[in-house]
Amino acid sequence: MNFQRFLLATFLVACPVLAVYTVKQTNWGPVLATPKSRQTGDLRAKVTIVEYSDFQCPSCATVDPTIHQYLEIYKGKIRLIYKYYPLVNIHKNAMASAHAAECAARQDHFWPYHDRLFQTQLSWANLQDPTTSFMAIAEEVKLDMPKFQTCYGDPARLKVIEQDAQEAQAHQITATPTFLIGDERLVGQVVVTDGARAIEKALRQ
Amino acid sequence: MRVRTDDLIILFSRLAIGGVLLYAGFMKAVGPSAEFAAAMETYKVFPPSLLTPLAIGVPYVEMWAGLFLLTGLYTRQAALFASLLFISFLTLISSAFLRGIDLTSCGCFGSEVLSPRYTLILDVSFLILALSTFKLATYSPPLSLDRAFPRI
Repeated sequence: MNFQRFLLATFLVACPVLAVYTVKQTNWGPVLATPKSRQTGDLRAKVTIVEYSDFQCPSCATVDPTIHQYLEIYKGKIRLIYKYYPLVNIHKNAMASAHAAECAARQDHFWPYHDRLFQTQLSWANLQDPTTSFMAIAEEVKLDMPKFQTCYGDPARLKVIEQDAQEAQAHQITATPTFLIGDERLVGQVVVTDGARAIEKALRQ
Repeated sequence: MRVRTDDLIILFSRLAIGGVLLYAGFMKAVGPSAEFAAAMETYKVFPPSLLTPLAIGVPYVEMWAGLFLLTGLYTRQAALFASLLFISFLTLISSAFLRGIDLTSCGCFGSEVLSPRYTLILDVSFLILALSTFKLATYSPPLSLDRAFPRI
């Protein structure tokens, strides 16, 4: 009987391992096409970095300078794609900021707008209505203001953001920023310490 | 045959704790381990070098504890082990609260978001159930492998 119990215990230990091995996904599905306005770096680069990010997320703002450094260090070797993933449950202005950024993208000024949103995050993150801040940034980065205002007032523009967010959820992404670099996934501020290693690895593959 | 109250308590506890541990472990194990590592990182307790091994290992530990409880093999030992797991989870979440860390999700069920406040309540409830099972299961409980394959 003791031997049978031992066999049963071994079986129970093996069961989850086999089940997970059978079910575990390693390929999380495609990264859907993203407009060129939300891509930077060399568009024909060997390595693509996909960033799922929220403009109101403090960690996303913290890692942003590091990403700029990577784009400089690996010039011609990497391309960065920005995907909207506003965490609306915890960041009340996340969707509005993504909406504003999308309006900037439609005028091909996504990246300067993106940078200023992160740099000024603390000033608009807790505002009841951040519209004035977003308009000020739009002026600062020299957007066509009437076009920007029309776009910002049009809820149809939110569809792109929602599509990106759905893609993130399909990839089981729960936190921002999440970076897909080659076959690696870096979540949170890990990209600061591990990003270069992941890029080097992807470049070697 | 008379059904003892202890039998019912043990059976209910085994199903509840075993089911939850198995589900929580499985959801994390089949999801990207980087997500769970990031969730653990928010507690600001673990050194970075431990995050990935823990993110891979903890879900299996939960599943094993859950399976042994569900099937009722080494029931008492599994209940004791589950109690230790729940005490660890409780300590982690409480310490995060005390340090003012704003946890958006406990990270307990992989990609599913569960408020840490609910997690605290659940953890306390499961800890009570696990300790009750450990205290009461001094015999081989019904509908268990311990009863079907008793120790010699």
